[in-house]
Amino acid sequence: MLKYSSVSSLLSGWERGGEMAKTGQLGCEAAVGSLTPAKKKEYKVSNRLHEGKRPLYAISFNFIDARYYDVFATVGGNRVTVYRCLEQGLIAVLQAYVDEDKDESFYTLSWACDLDGTPLLVAGGSNGIIRVINAGTEKIHKVSFVGHGDSVNEIRTQPLKPSLVVSASKDESVRLWNVHTGICILIFAGAGGHRNEVLSVDFHPSDIYRIASCGMDNTVKIWSMKEFWTYVEKSFTWTDLPSKFPTKYVQFPVFIASVHSNYVDCTRWLGDFVLSKSVDNEIVLWEPKTKEQSPGEGAVDILQKYPVPECDIWFIKFSCDFHYNAAAIGNREGKIYVWELQSSPPVLIARLAHAQCKSPIRQTALSFDGSTILSCCEDGSIWRWDVVQS
Amino acid sequence: MTSKASFSASASKSEPSAGLQITGIKDGNHISQDILSVIDSSKKQLVVDRYIYIKKIMEENKQKLSSITQHLYNLSKFRRDTTISNTDTDVNLLTRRQDDALCTLNSVELSGGEKDGSSCQEESSYASSTVILGSNFGGKNAVRPIKLPEVPKLPPYTTWIFLDRNQRMTEDQSVVGRRRIYYDRGCGEALICSDSEDDVVEDEDEKKQFGSTEDYIIRMAIQKVGLSDAVLDLLAQCLGRNTDEIRARYESIIKIEKTEECVKKGEDGVDIKTEDALSEKDLDAASDSFDNLFCRRCLVFDCRLHGCSQDLVFPSEKQLPWSNSDDDTPCGMHCHRAVSKSEGIAAMNSQMPHDSELQTQSSGSARASLYTKKKSHCSSVGRRAKYHQGESTSSNARVVSESSESEVHPRQDIMSVKVFSSSKIKQDGKYGIRKKDNKRIAEQVLLCMRKRQKKMVSSDSDSIVSGHLWPHDMKLRSNTRNANRDSNSSSQNKIVKSPIIRNSRKKGLSQQDTINLAYVEAQNDSTGEIVKESLAAGCDESSRKEEFVDESTCKYENTRGKSWKVIEQSLFVKGLEIFGRNSCLIARNLLCGMKTCMEVFQYMNYVEDKKTYGAADGANSLVEGYAKGNELQTRSRFLRRRGRVRRLKYTWKSAGYHSIRKRITEKKDQPCRQYNPCGCQSACGKQCPCLVNGTCCEKYCGCPKICKNRFRGCHCAKSQCRSRQCPCFAADRECDPDVCRNCWIGCGDGTLGGPNQGGDNYECRNMKLLLKQQQRVLLGRSDVSGWGAFLKNGVGKHEYLGEYTGELISHREADKRGKIYDRENSSFLFNLNDQFVLDAYRKGDKLKFANHSPNPNCYAKVIMVAGDHRVGIFAKERINAGEELFYDYRYEPDRAPAWARKPEASGSRKGETQPSSGRAKKLA
Repeated sequence: MLKYSSVSSLLSGWERGGEMAKTGQLGCEAAVGSLTPAKKKEYKVSNRLHEGKRPLYAISFNFIDARYYDVFATVGGNRVTVYRCLEQGLIAVLQAYVDEDKDESFYTLSWACDLDGTPLLVAGGSNGIIRVINAGTEKIHKVSFVGHGDSVNEIRTQPLKPSLVVSASKDESVRLWNVHTGICILIFAGAGGHRNEVLSVDFHPSDIYRIASCGMDNTVKIWSMKEFWTYVEKSFTWTDLPSKFPTKYVQFPVFIASVHSNYVDCTRWLGDFVLSKSVDNEIVLWEPKTKEQSPGEGAVDILQKYPVPECDIWFIKFSCDFHYNAAAIGNREGKIYVWELQSSPPVLIARLAHAQCKSPIRQTALSFDGSTILSCCEDGSIWRWDVVQS
Repeated sequence: MTSKASFSASASKSEPSAGLQITGIKDGNHISQDILSVIDSSKKQLVVDRYIYIKKIMEENKQKLSSITQHLYNLSKFRRDTTISNTDTDVNLLTRRQDDALCTLNSVELSGGEKDGSSCQEESSYASSTVILGSNFGGKNAVRPIKLPEVPKLPPYTTWIFLDRNQRMTEDQSVVGRRRIYYDRGCGEALICSDSEDDVVEDEDEKKQFGSTEDYIIRMAIQKVGLSDAVLDLLAQCLGRNTDEIRARYESIIKIEKTEECVKKGEDGVDIKTEDALSEKDLDAASDSFDNLFCRRCLVFDCRLHGCSQDLVFPSEKQLPWSNSDDDTPCGMHCHRAVSKSEGIAAMNSQMPHDSELQTQSSGSARASLYTKKKSHCSSVGRRAKYHQGESTSSNARVVSESSESEVHPRQDIMSVKVFSSSKIKQDGKYGIRKKDNKRIAEQVLLCMRKRQKKMVSSDSDSIVSGHLWPHDMKLRSNTRNANRDSNSSSQNKIVKSPIIRNSRKKGLSQQDTINLAYVEAQNDSTGEIVKESLAAGCDESSRKEEFVDESTCKYENTRGKSWKVIEQSLFVKGLEIFGRNSCLIARNLLCGMKTCMEVFQYMNYVEDKKTYGAADGANSLVEGYAKGNELQTRSRFLRRRGRVRRLKYTWKSAGYHSIRKRITEKKDQPCRQYNPCGCQSACGKQCPCLVNGTCCEKYCGCPKICKNRFRGCHCAKSQCRSRQCPCFAADRECDPDVCRNCWIGCGDGTLGGPNQGGDNYECRNMKLLLKQQQRVLLGRSDVSGWGAFLKNGVGKHEYLGEYTGELISHREADKRGKIYDRENSSFLFNLNDQFVLDAYRKGDKLKFANHSPNPNCYAKVIMVAGDHRVGIFAKERINAGEELFYDYRYEPDRAPAWARKPEASGSRKGETQPSSGRAKKLA
């Protein structure tokens, strides 16, 4: 029997003010969400799959193209698999790709699309080679991106220009690529760059120049490519060899935030605010307050905290639905916490647990409207949770 | 921000507390409780306000975000719509499979029990040809995996930035004092926080600033309960601070509030203030970047190698520019010469026939020689000042010697102090550079004084030479000498000192006055009088009278000086430095349109007057602050750097961990010592920092060229400095065209004709690093392991290939970084000299990828190039085009990693992860 627990007692945050964390300076307290789930939604397991024994590190819905809102992909080992979420909890395999290099271990993937709308899958892993797969033709799309000196930890797609992808790597750099031409446009590294592996990166949803990256140097860095935008434009019309493109180094971020004191393994923009998590059992929402005159400096205002118990190992990533209403994150023990992101104080929508789901959940995926939650586990299983219609 | 809710809350809270204040003063407990409740309530208020604020901005963000996501949604819908119309021609497999899946779903009947029961089907191997997944649809749900062709992966590396020259590490790059967390692969997810030993975080010493919230609490509490010690104590407890801090803060809050009110009331005052601030700006502020950011060694701004905190070294042999020999022609209608001629003051002073001469025409060489002897400050201001001073002192001398005092003493004081005061005029030495100058001068003066005390006679004669060699002056000197001997013998000497100085000041002043007066009119008489007076009377009497005189003149001069803006003043001072006492040139070149030559000339005299005036203070303070000299110097240096202070908080750990580093020699000790230019103004003595440090003086030192500690360069001609016969080459130095006699480089193919110093066409071959005459190096996959550096074109033996560049880091920093690198089994550390280690990990050039080999084809060599140590890589033998480059890392035997140990003779490079596998081969 499937067991899940999303029992809760509804409590408005204000009455529970005593639970507000006493961290930080007076008057800068963050609103901390209560771990008692609000009975807003109930989810139950509707399916689970087992891909294999190798851990699955990433799972992602395609939000780029409205046709494929129900299509998702997973990566694990040397394999990339594409599925479709069907009704009644069914999952259908659509495509599977296997890297001929058996030692490859993919860590991340992202959906992108070419200028003509071809759906693309961009995946990267321990080899440091970014694979661009044309899901429309089931072939490698033009080229693979070679350049990272070590494993690729995360790839994200620019939602406004979905042929731009950005990758975070162990080689301490973040790179911006154009999948249309196969060009490495910018490298975010150097004097002001990360001092250790970069674990996560994300595009600002509306400010096309802005990205945030975070990593093992415990910092979150916000970069601007405004001054380098001509190169981005140039990359679309480049006809020569991609290797001849004048790739530029962006050496100085506009903002460096020390929000965490340990590895920062996931960061996402929430409007102009930033969500980031370390290994401290919580997701933190903060506002970067940059100074116009002096780039690189600024203050961090920690606004909210979303506690996630037993989430103290690194490389556990959270995901949001299309409208950023909710975020889902797994933990070390196979439980999933679904947080309402934009309410203040945060509300725990549900806590998902299943007796047979015990291994760490590396990544989750929320469907377009948040009604389906997928999780991929270290033991190679995929779990599907569907909201219970009441 | 306060909302309505907060207002009501605070209002309700304040009532009971007010009541208690009146009634319950006797009851201490009651009061403290009351206070606590007030504090508590204001704290709560703050928290509530904070949450309201968060809620508000979250709401705002939500609104914004919803429109953004709506836009994104439209984009994705648009993509669907446009591509659907296109798919007629182009078959989209993803869409097709999507539809297929739906079809299967419709055709296959679902049995409810299947759903969760059998979903745990384990898959054994990845190599299986089909992917079978959760058994929703049984065998139907299987697809044939599509193979992604293998792409050869790159050898691992960390993203690095190319450097064409070494860079000093910036502070924020330091790993010292930072906690580093390792992820230990062996233990799964274990986190190790190491580096604990001495990496105690030292941020704690910084005092916490009072936040606006704390201010709020303090204000509220004191407003409601009144100001008393009990309140402050409790506040201190609650906020975790001292009572005194709280009190001080409260006072400052009140003050700020008051000023804010004032500002609101009258905004005119502010305007005036800002105007003032603008006019306060001066040249020093403007040239600050030049002084602080310009590297005098590389001649570039913001030098990354030497940094912006170099000491300012003023070479002692600065040539005197612009000695205007074409004297008497007025530069324009406002020229001071024209005016003075018309007024007929040509007969300046019978006593000082040299004065005008010296002002108008100056024989630079003669002067220069005089000054070097004088061991004084070299700026032309100083020199000029001295000139003028020479006159005054000469008369001083007379006076002073009569009163049986030492003459040299005040004289020298005045001299140098004049320079001092010259800077004082500019903004009272606000700027560190000036201060530093002053201090340096001060030290020199003190040095001179000491010397004088030791060798009265010799120094005396020295100063005589440096004076204007007036015969009667001479006589007086001898008088002085005698007198000095007397006074020296007595212990009085020191006691007398201060009166001497004061005395001399007055003398100097009077002298200056007289000069000025002379310029205006009737100076002959006054000088004569004063001199006579001073001759006749004792110092006290005369000084009183002189004081009177100079007060009056000062007043007069002050009115004249006032019309000069700060910026004009500083421009004038710069002009003095550049052109000397030439008002025509200064007016024309620097103060064009602002001041006429005449005005400049007048101001020049006025300033000189002031200089002597200020001299006294300077002299006094100098003598007093003798002991403080050094201290002040360092402090002033800090001031100059302004916020860029490089503070090294740590101390060396004796039993430090030594990471493996590349080296040049097998020897344990460091033969190379980091060179820092000395600021010696005279030939370097035993205290010279260069000599103490064991380095040669270079062209960047302040000392004169004749300094015995200087490296003289070479005189090679035909040998082209390629062998150890060349002294430069032998000393592991590159030749320097500024120092060596025959070393030069031709331009082009020589058809245009090179410089002719040598008289032959033998170019120096020992300047390759300086000229960056390097070989093209290619980066590629090594035959041995990982990356390798390859040579594009073949070269001969001992040919220079390129430079190993990187970050210059301290040895301590290198130890710390080395620990990290060693964990990754990749290190690009290279021992450079006693002070620095080169780290090419994140910044460097392609040669950092050259692999280690015990039997290499290249060798590395630390070479001194223009005062900096640099690592050059040279060919050990003939190397053919396309060959991989190897050199011996020369790791210390006990620390070398396995692959670099001698006996095994494996050539694998340390940087790569796989251990050396014996396939290492030395090429040719």
